Order: sequence, then C-alpha cells, then structure tokens
Amino acid sequence: MSRSSEEVLLMVNYVRNKKTDGMLYMMGERMAWMQNSKNTFSYSHPYADIKSQKISPDSKEKVQLQVVMHNGSANTFHFNNPEGRSAQIQDRDAVKELLQQLLPKFRHKLSSELEEKNRLLKENPELFQLYKDLVVTQVITADEFWATQANKYTNGGEKGELKQQTGVSAAFLADIKPQTDGCNGLKYNLTADIIESIFRTYPMVRKKHAEHVPHEMTESDFWTRFFQSHYFHRDRTTLGNKDIFSECAKKDEEDIKEEMDKNVKDPFLDLTQLTDSTLDEGYGGTTEDKRISHNHTNLTMIRRFNYHSTMVLKACEKNMGQQESHKGDSATNSSEQIGDSPSPMMNGEASTSSNTEQSEPVTKKARIREKLELEDFQPEEKEKSLNLQLSRMDRYLHGPTPVVAVRYTTGEDMMQATHSVATEISHWTPNLTQVISENVALSVLGELSPGGALMHGTSLQQLHQMVSPNVQEELKQQYNALCELLRHFWACFPTSSKFLEEKVVRMKSTLERFQMAKLNSLKEKLEEDHYSIDLTGHMEEMLAAAYRKFDMWQSKRIQKKS
Amino acid sequence: MSDRKKASLLVVVIDTNPVWWGQRLVDQPDKSLTQFLDSIMVFTNSHLMMNHRNKLAVIAAHTNQSCFLYPRAESREAAGGGEPGGAAGAHDGKYELFAQVNEQVMEEVKNLILTSLEGHSETDSLLAGALAMSLCYIHRCEKESFTGEDLSSRILIIKGSEDNPAQYMNFMNAVFTAQKQNVTIDACILDNDSGLLQQACDITGGVYLKIPQPSGLLQYLLWVFLPDPTLRLKLTLPPKAQVDYRAACFCHRNLIDIGYVCSVCLSIFCSFSPICSTCQTTFKFMGLPKIAKKKQKKLNP
Ligand SMILES: [Zn+2]
Ligand SMILES: [Zn+2]
Repeated sequence: MSRSSEEVLLMVNYVRNKKTDGMLYMMGERMAWMQNSKNTFSYSHPYADIKSQKISPDSKEKVQLQVVMHNGSANTFHFNNPEGRSAQIQDRDAVKELLQQLLPKFRHKLSSELEEKNRLLKENPELFQLYKDLVVTQVITADEFWATQANKYTNGGEKGELKQQTGVSAAFLADIKPQTDGCNGLKYNLTADIIESIFRTYPMVRKKHAEHVPHEMTESDFWTRFFQSHYFHRDRTTLGNKDIFSECAKKDEEDIKEEMDKNVKDPFLDLTQLTDSTLDEGYGGTTEDKRISHNHTNLTMIRRFNYHSTMVLKACEKNMGQQESHKGDSATNSSEQIGDSPSPMMNGEASTSSNTEQSEPVTKKARIREKLELEDFQPEEKEKSLNLQLSRMDRYLHGPTPVVAVRYTTGEDMMQATHSVATEISHWTPNLTQVISENVALSVLGELSPGGALMHGTSLQQLHQMVSPNVQEELKQQYNALCELLRHFWACFPTSSKFLEEKVVRMKSTLERFQMAKLNSLKEKLEEDHYSIDLTGHMEEMLAAAYRKFDMWQSKRIQKKS
Repeated sequence: MSDRKKASLLVVVIDTNPVWWGQRLVDQPDKSLTQFLDSIMVFTNSHLMMNHRNKLAVIAAHTNQSCFLYPRAESREAAGGGEPGGAAGAHDGKYELFAQVNEQVMEEVKNLILTSLEGHSETDSLLAGALAMSLCYIHRCEKESFTGEDLSSRILIIKGSEDNPAQYMNFMNAVFTAQKQNVTIDACILDNDSGLLQQACDITGGVYLKIPQPSGLLQYLLWVFLPDPTLRLKLTLPPKAQVDYRAACFCHRNLIDIGYVCSVCLSIFCSFSPICSTCQTTFKFMGLPKIAKKKQKKLNP
C-alpha cells in the first residue's frame, strides 16, 4: 500500500523554487520538491493539504504554478526548462492536469470534520485560546477537548448551519465558454463545480462516467467525447454515430415522456386549456393563436429546454439521494453501487406517481377544501382561562424587612418615652450658635476625609485601573482555562461509569498540573509586579473545592471497597 | 452660569417619632430631639444662604401623621397670622427668612408633638406619606417656578426609627416616582440601617449615610448633604455602599439570596413546595423525585 501511495506519477526537472533549481515529484498522495544538490525533499505537500492551484497567465514571462494550502500558505513553482517557453508550458500543464485529477479525490478524503474544527477555532478566538491553553500545552487531549467543546458548538451549528445545497444554475452548460485553440478545435475548461453540475443534472452521465472512466478511457477523453457527442449536440447537426451517450439520449426520451405523463394534477389548473390567446387591441378579441410550429428542430429544442429545466430543478430536489450516490462515487471501485444508486430513485419516483394517481380524489378534495374554507371564518375556539385566586395578598405588601428586626416595646415604655420628649420640647428654645463642639466636628471631619472610617473602600473601586491590561488579559485566559478544566472535573460526578471514575482521577491530576505549571507561575509573576491584592485567590479556592470533593469521593470509594 | 437662574429646592424630611426619640433621651440625655432640630435648622439656613433663589421645605414624619413644618399650611398661616412677623421683629438684625424658618419649625414641632400626645404611638414613622408630600410639593414648586428658572429638587430624609414594613409598597412607589421626576433622595441615618432607604438612595442616585457620631450631625449634613448632587461628583464623598436588594420570602419573611418563585403569582419562597400557598397552583416535577427514589432504594439494602 505504502508503495502505491509513494509511486511517482510524474517527475519534472528544471523546476525552481525560491530561486533554487530542483526537481518536482508528483506522487500518489503528495507532491514534493527536491533541491538539485540534495537527496531529501525540501518541500512535501500532501494533496489533502492543497486547497487549490493557480497558474500564471500566459501574458506573464515566467511560467509558474502556485499551490494554495488549506491553512492559507502557498508555494510557487517556477518552470524553467532550458528548451524554451513552450517546453516550460508543457511541463507546467502536465503538472496542472495531474493536480486537476488528483485534488478532487483528496478533497473528499480531507475529513470534513477537521475542516469543521478548523473553522470553529478560527471563528471563536476564545475557543482557540482555550485550545492553545489546554491542548497545545497537553493539559488535556485534543479528543477530550473536542468531545465536550465541539458538541456545544456543533450542536448549535447543526440546526442553523446545515448548509442548503446550492442549486444548479440553469445556464451552467452555456457558461462553459469554450476557447478556440486556433486550429479548428475547441477547448473546454471544466472545473470540479461544472462537472458536479453536469452529474447532478444528468444522472445518466454520472453513471456513464463511473462505468467508463478509469477502466476504458481517461477523464479528459470522457469529457471530450461528452462534448463531441450526439447527446450534447443533439439539437445541432449530428456528428459521430457510435457513441457511449446514445443510451443516455434514449433514457432521456423516456424521462421526458414520464414527465409529460405526470402532468400537473391540480383541479384548479388545466394546463392543456392554456392558450396564447390575448385580448385584442380592441379589448374584445378572442382570436385564438393557432400557430403551431411544424419545425421539428424547434420542437425538439423546446423539449430539450423543458427537460433541461426539469432536470435542473430536480437536481435540488434530489439532495439526499444525490449525497448518497456522491459518496459511492468517491469510493473508487464500487461501480456496482453507482449503477444501482440512481435506480431506486427512479423506482421511488415511479411508485409515488402511481400513488398519486390512486389518491387523486383525496388530494383533489383536499385542494378544493383548501380553496373553499377560509381560516378567518372559522369559529374561534376560546381556551378556558383560570382566574387567579390569591390568598393572603398582604404578603406582597410587606417589604424585604425581616420580622426579627422589629424591637419589642411595651406600651408603658412608649408612653414614658413620648412624655419625656414632650416635656423636653416644651422647654425648647433653639440655640443655633452652640450646635456642635469643635472636637466632635473635627473627629467627624476625620471620618469623612480620605482614609477615614467612612471613606473605607474608595480605593478598591479602581481595581481595573490598578491592574495592567496585560495582566487582566492573562488572568482572563487563566480563568477561562481553569473553568474549563473544572467543568470537566465536576461533570464527572456522579461517577456512574468506569470511564467517569477514570476521568475523575485523570482530571484531578490535570488540575494539579495546571496549578503547578500555570497558576503558580502566574502567581510568581504577580508577586514580582507587587500587586497588593490577591488576584489568584479565587482560582485557588476553586481548585481547593475541587480537591476537597475529590478527596471525599476517594475516601468514600475506599470505604465501599473495604 | 448666570444665563440660567439655578435654584435648588431642598425638602428635609425629619423623623420625629416620639417613641424613638424618647428612648434615646433615656439612654443618652445629651442627644435629644431638640439638639438635632438645632442642627437641622443651621443646615437649612445654610442651604438658603448658598443661593438666594434656593427654596426649602421641612416635613415631619411622625408616628401617626406627616405634616409640613415649613412652609406652614395656608389655613394655619391665617390662624396664627400675626405671630411670625412679630417674632422676626424680635430678633433684630437677623435675616428675616432665617428667623421665619426657625420660628415656624419650632412652633410646628412643638404643636405636633404636644397635640399627638394623646393618640396611639408606634415605633415606626410614616415615611412613605412624608415622601409623597415632598414629591407633591416639589411638583408644585416646579410648576410655579418662573420660566427660565432651573429648579433642581432633592429630598433629604433624616431618620432614626425603624422601617415600617407595611408601608413598603407605598414607599417604593414614591421612590420610583422620585426617580421618574429626577428627584434625588438622600438619607442620613441616625440609628437603624434601613434597607428601604438604601434602595431609595441607590435608585435615585442619592447618598445613603449612616452616621457613626449622631452628636456631630451638623458636620455630616454640611459636608455630605449640603452640596447639590451635580456638585457631588467633583467631591470625594463616602463611597456608595453595596445595597442589599435581596427579597424576603413570603413564608418566613427571611431575606434570601436564592429562592423559589411561583411562576403564576410571583410569590417568593425559601424552600420548594409542590403547591404555591398564595395561589394554590400545583407544580409537578418529572425528573427530581425519580432520582430521590433510586437513591433510597440503593441505601435500603
Ligand atoms: Zn421562607
Ligand atoms: Zn403562586
């Protein structure tokens, strides 16, 4: 296996990379480049890593090919064949074509999962930070990280981001603009997208492709034939006779007939009664347009158009089935499956159409009812509501004053107090120059000055000013990381399975490692900065709480065993 | 500054609960109601002195009623008509307004306390009523103020007695009205911390201060409560205390951090009960009881 994957498919000499000459090797699963004087590869790009390739335009002097990786980096190869420009272009095109064939295969292999994770990390800087803190520093394994984190993100994402498959453009065939190569030939540039569109619209072509391509003809051969074929050019002057696509044409005819049979079954819409009769200029005319085209080519053309539109629309409908057969397609040697995959589809359709025939009266009735019954005219159904019956309404009226606070006083005390106040007030004459003594005033001023008894805590409010933004940021990160770890830890309780029990033990040591490696170093750093406030105290408390829980759990377990 | 004529209306609400003041008098004879009233008079005079446009009202929150000490109600003004003028004449050389304020406050307090002697007394004061009266007076003054006059109003509550839980709703309604009317409520607390006033000050952006030395009341008043709220931002004043917004449970009236709230009638309870005792709604819990049962089974064998 390894040999086949390392099999060299193409070797191109005179390829410069970063101004050094070398040799480009195209192998089964990667492309690599070796400097002339060395015997190891300087660069090696697995095809799965390559996102796309770009080639320099012909107008440019240098003949170059660039491969763009999924991670955004790129590598450029300069073809520098001494035999001249045409040889250079030939070299380049050989590589280009090979890549064109190989990349789509590996694109499927690149697990969508990995891409998804990549995307998640890119879109969530906080998650990325957490990933760096926990996985890169090997506090927890990547699998563990994703096992918990990913659900959180992907679950939410599945609903919202289940990507709707893009439909096929009705003009996709017309959009393939062939270029004349100067000698009475046409050159089609097929991208993977176009090919996919063709496959989706014409399942028969997919079938043919799967039957013939690797075994009987090359990819480009197949497409050359497709474009040359009677099938593609059917509405123009016919070309060759013996054609792998003639079968497709027959199948298409059947499909068209089937579609026509299906018709639109709407009791309110009779397509056959539809005419092009317009009201005349004089508003009253009912002259019927009885022009019927007898031109056969025109008829077929219109039929083809309609069929094409039908297939384009169906391409979207078939989403699910298509994806299945798509998978089968990417697997190399499962042609049988592919042969089968479109057929259940057809059967399914046929059966549904017969079903609709049987259930026609029912659907017709439903349709008529839909037209006749208006929701607005339906009698409203009122739900019976319950009246709120509240007992002890006074409970709402009481303030948040605890009953215990009320001091008990006897009536006698109250009378005595009232009378003493009365006697005092009756002898009162304001003496406004002797209201406060200097000593008292001074001590009150002391209380109200900064640092005084009443001013306590004024400095604490500026905590965010006292701690530098860097330290704040780092604290935030550590909190994030620690909380994530603690979440893992606490999530293990109750330890209902063997796995969870093991995980608790593992998490405990992970927490200890975190405290040793991260928290303590942070603490030391903070001490160097002479912060008077204990910024890590809370984190230590959280850790201590987790340790306590662990110790309790362990001692209980030991008791059980003994 | 001079373009807009700025004026400040200060409404001082004094807690004159005779029971509380009487008990104080027994405990500490030197800290009597009259001394506090002296301090408050000096403070109100200072307020009037700050700006000749400044206005003042003094309201007493008594045990069974709330009433204006200054300005005097018009009906009473007519009854004792000649007196204030004569009293002002007696203190020769004194600013007439000061004399008028001091005389009126003194007379009205005496009148209030001596006439209410026979009635039933409580340990708490009718603060909500006094607050509502203040707001009404403020509203009237704002209506009556000249165009171009910028009247900012605030209420200072000087309080010693306990909160009256029965007045909670009325009090909080008054507080929210004050908030809506842009009236700042300040509180100077002589004895019992008041959760309600803490909330009132926090909501309206006022200062809540429980003073450690009641005998130094005047100093606190002049230092903390004399400056206008706009001016206070520039001063270093005591920091705002954490306000306890906890709710009391309906069952025991305990202050709770976390509780159960009935989703139908919004009653608050400190512990879960399957039937709400206020509205009799039954709550069914599907998940929890099962776990409890399983645990019990495990424990039994
Ligand atoms: Zn309770
Ligand atoms: Zn309820």
